[in-house]
Amino acid sequence: MNCKGTARALSEGSRLPLQAQDHLRICGRCQELERSLNSSAPVDPPSPATLRQIADGMATGLRPVHPVAPARYFFGAFVGIFVSIVALGVYRMGALAIGVMTPRQTAAILSALAISTGLLTYSLVNQMVPGSHHRISPRLLPVGITISLTIVIAVLFQFQHERNFWGNAWVCIRAGAPIGVLAALPFWLMLRRGAILSPGMTGAATGLLAGLVGTSVLEIHCPNLDAWHILVSHLGAAMLCALAGLVIGLAAESTPLTPNLSVDFKET
Amino acid sequence: MVASLQENVGPRQSFANLDHWMERYQQADPEAPAALVGALSPPLLRFFRSQVATREQANDLLQEAWLRIHRVRHTYRPGEPVLPWIYAIARRVRVDGYRRTRRIMLHEITMEVLPEVAAQAEARNPGPTFDTLVASLPEAQREVVTMLKVGGLTLDEVACATSSTVGAVKQKAHRAYERLRKLLQIQAEERVSGAAQ
Repeated sequence: MNCKGTARALSEGSRLPLQAQDHLRICGRCQELERSLNSSAPVDPPSPATLRQIADGMATGLRPVHPVAPARYFFGAFVGIFVSIVALGVYRMGALAIGVMTPRQTAAILSALAISTGLLTYSLVNQMVPGSHHRISPRLLPVGITISLTIVIAVLFQFQHERNFWGNAWVCIRAGAPIGVLAALPFWLMLRRGAILSPGMTGAATGLLAGLVGTSVLEIHCPNLDAWHILVSHLGAAMLCALAGLVIGLAAESTPLTPNLSVDFKET
Repeated sequence: MVASLQENVGPRQSFANLDHWMERYQQADPEAPAALVGALSPPLLRFFRSQVATREQANDLLQEAWLRIHRVRHTYRPGEPVLPWIYAIARRVRVDGYRRTRRIMLHEITMEVLPEVAAQAEARNPGPTFDTLVASLPEAQREVVTMLKVGGLTLDEVACATSSTVGAVKQKAHRAYERLRKLLQIQAEERVSGAAQ
């Protein structure tokens, strides 16, 4: 094994293979790298006074807290809110599209929406607790879901030329976006129970999830099966909500409520 | 030597009771904050020092990190590893601190040359110590190597702390080690040519 292979073996984290161990014994450069990486003598350790100050600040008025509920409860609550608002929207507006779409179209689009909702909810629930395990990067997920839904819609429905395209699109956006806003409120109340470390990223994901509530209602209600219409107005409503969530999140991120939090411990 | 490189035995041993202390901290045990602060502050300070220029900034970030940990302590789920939870918060504090510093510098200070981490570390430690080496890495790789080597986190824990996947962490670590190895090689060649002259 050469130096490159040894570096790869080191990055694997588990026990080094014998070949890499042999190489490490004979290669001065790799030995030097190993020595430098493990020179773990603390440089300028924190002063005991500072540590005492922090610990005293934390212990002052310390009250017991209930640990956050297990992830499955939050997952259930998010899905429950999603389904309830979709049901309410369809009840109010009617399920006209179900009679127009083929069973294949109905099953495929609703499955795609359900999978997207599940993945987004799973990601959001994990974002509520710092250091949670993410199977899919939470930064990439909203983008991935939007692209996947675009592909599903483009494959399932035909592209046609409508006469009053923008007029029809506006009607659907005006119906779908407020449903998204309505859904965003309980989602936000749920998220507040956790600790959101990246408001921009979480805002975009929450906005997209809330927007998908509106998209789902429109998919069940709107009998217009033109692919352009579905992409621009139905999926567009979700993307508008995601954009709004991203903007709100970024605004929250750049305007810290307590500009210099470190003062708190010093004062206590 | 090989074993020490892989296992990070020291840090892991000192973090063995953190889960227990974290649970007691949630139950408002007055001894828990001191235990947690004592065990975790040195590696956290070193984590901040490897990312920011001055000790004062690192101290401020350390205090801010503990304040945030205190505020969101209910989000730790008993039984789960503490280190990814702690480092995820610390990482966010570092990002916010960096943005705040940048904003202040843009608005208030005009400097011809910004202080660099590498230059300072070099002045303190002439040999290729951990801090000197790691200062030459890009931010994402530096963060991963610091968490692995100073924080004593496993690959999986680093992935959790950085909201990333294990594969991505391995890739960053591998690129970092490759880069460091090349850097050491260049330094050695320079030393040899300097001695020859």
